[in-house]
Amino acid sequence: MSIFEELQQAIIDGKAPVAKGLTEKALSEGARPAEFFPKAIIPAMNEVGRRMRECEFFIPEVLIAARAARAATDILRPLLVGDEAVRSAGTVVCGTVKGDLHDIGKNIVAMMLESAGFEIVDLGVDVPPEKVVEAVRQHAANIVAMSALLTTTMVNMKAVIDALAGAGLRGQVKVMVGGAPVTEAWARSIGADGYGKDASAAVEMARSLVAAA
Amino acid sequence: MTEKKNQRIVVRPTDVELTAPAGTALRDLLFEQGVEFPCGGQGRCRGCRVRVLEGTAEINAAQRERLTPQELADGWRLACQCSLVDDLVVELRQWDAAILADDTPFNFAPRPGLGVAVDLGTTTLVAQLLNLATGKVLAVRTGLNAQARYGADIMSRLQFAVSDGGQATLNRLIRRQIASLIQQLILSAKVPSSEISDVVLVGNTVMHHLFCGIDVEPLSHYPFESNEIGLQTFRARDLEWNLNERSTIRFLPCLGGFVGSDILAGVLATKLGESREFAGLMDLGTNGEIVIGNRTRLFCASTAAGPAFEGARISMGMRAATGAISQVEVENERLLCHVLGNVAPQGLCGSGLVDAVAAGLELETIQASGRLANGAKEWMLKPPVVLTQNDIRELQLAKAAIAAGARILLERSGTSISDLKELYLAGAFGNYIRHSSAQRIGLINMPSDRIAPAGNTALLGAKLALFSLDNEDGSYTELRSRIEHVPLKADANFQDIFVEELSFPSSTHVHS
Repeated sequence: MSIFEELQQAIIDGKAPVAKGLTEKALSEGARPAEFFPKAIIPAMNEVGRRMRECEFFIPEVLIAARAARAATDILRPLLVGDEAVRSAGTVVCGTVKGDLHDIGKNIVAMMLESAGFEIVDLGVDVPPEKVVEAVRQHAANIVAMSALLTTTMVNMKAVIDALAGAGLRGQVKVMVGGAPVTEAWARSIGADGYGKDASAAVEMARSLVAAA
Repeated sequence: MTEKKNQRIVVRPTDVELTAPAGTALRDLLFEQGVEFPCGGQGRCRGCRVRVLEGTAEINAAQRERLTPQELADGWRLACQCSLVDDLVVELRQWDAAILADDTPFNFAPRPGLGVAVDLGTTTLVAQLLNLATGKVLAVRTGLNAQARYGADIMSRLQFAVSDGGQATLNRLIRRQIASLIQQLILSAKVPSSEISDVVLVGNTVMHHLFCGIDVEPLSHYPFESNEIGLQTFRARDLEWNLNERSTIRFLPCLGGFVGSDILAGVLATKLGESREFAGLMDLGTNGEIVIGNRTRLFCASTAAGPAFEGARISMGMRAATGAISQVEVENERLLCHVLGNVAPQGLCGSGLVDAVAAGLELETIQASGRLANGAKEWMLKPPVVLTQNDIRELQLAKAAIAAGARILLERSGTSISDLKELYLAGAFGNYIRHSSAQRIGLINMPSDRIAPAGNTALLGAKLALFSLDNEDGSYTELRSRIEHVPLKADANFQDIFVEELSFPSSTHVHS
């Protein structure tokens, strides 16, 4: 098994210290920081996504896998700064809408996107639309990803889209939405660009939205 | 196959007459009438005892253990142990016992007139008509909350309420439905409606607001707090109810967040506010409510458990009704499923779900992570009823929400689960859930002998309030000042603890 395969397995198994050790070892053996993403981290998180879709993994397994992935990316990110060969997959502003405090789903999506090479600006929970507008402007974001877990708060997704339009930013940013009560039809009805049924769908969605932009 | 003969049963004091095939369990028949089986119908308590006035009902070992020879000779039986083999007239003990036969002293001052106690639940309603002079239950009526067609769970009900005209519709609907329940009570007891002097209602904060006509909008989003949670008092004409104009209708005050007067009533019924030692109360439903504390200080919280305990969002889930697998046991490595009504199984109710998962963990068909062994997608319990991988996930979410809430309240109270003298389980599900299974799945991490099924504590508390109206106007200011509501979602540790609690305990960690 190559060291990248070992790292991939460590992430899937949620072994953060092992992932950290393997990342350091590979670097000391001359691996380039940019190599880790296509060779270990992205395939590992794709596998985690597949297992989640097939009910094999549940929230705890996904979270510990994401934590292991982060142990690797925390070492790699600083080394990638200024590396012209590495282009970020895009910048995503994410958060849970105003009135809602659920963040497990949002955190999983953020970690999956991060492992897939996106820059994440996580605004946290109970996020007012103005804050989203400000973050999109400040970070020149490509995507806004909003989460809601309550039928009473998902209406606030529309408020975010309206605020972006009001600020004249709607044309330059794609909006994707998700969360237990959210459906494809609902996403379409509020004028969102994409809907992800689960975290792995969110990654696919984000990639295609950036590609289409 | 010969058709089973039908038998007749008359239930006193309500005089309800039912017909069912010979051999039907009394438990299944009486459950539908609102009778509770505190130990879950295991023959371990005396809560469901009935007195056979006419006809014969069998005596078995469990009854010989729980009832004295004299009681048996006088016709007393445990309803959970009997089936309908003869036409019967039975008298229920349960509905009287709560008020007068309670051995703990209770501030009961007989007063003239009649009273009505109402437990207004999100899903079900229970109303009892009481003689305030004697404490006797004259009639009982139960029903499904008519608002449910506008959203089964509390969040979708709220969503409908905050939409155009929704609140007014729900308000009108519930006031009318309870008026009609009260009229049915009056008809059934054959008493004049003018004799009803007091009505006491309890319910969660959303039900309180929807009945009283208070805007529910603040409850629909973070921080899920309303400022108008106090006692609400009405005259019959305010509600357009056909009762004596001098009668008073009270909706008891709530405790904060979604924690309503049903839980205040539960505190009254279990006397948590008078307990020197730490004790707890849990009401397991779509919203799980928890209270922990002692006579000095109590902490309460509600936690969104989702509808799994009620059989919803479970692939073959159903209410605890005829055809539901309500119990699952492992015997010699084999599954034994009890089906309500002794018919072919159609689905799985909440208690059956908890039992099935506990059995799965025991047989190692289900791993501690919640995963079905060998990558299976489903597990056949009793054809055609299966438990799917996703059903297990739903149960994990529900039990983690409750377990995490309990951990945070224990922390706030500065106590630990091993220091709790008693944990009262309220509500129908609390009665039916097998304690060892609740413990096995990590829902309640406590030895079974300290878990006490407490029945419908909301209704019992409402009755206690009804009988205490001479001393307490229903605002419970002093008691409420000792109960602090803890908003769980705002607790920085809630989500971490929730994730920790998602897994099932490995068997070595379970208390014996």
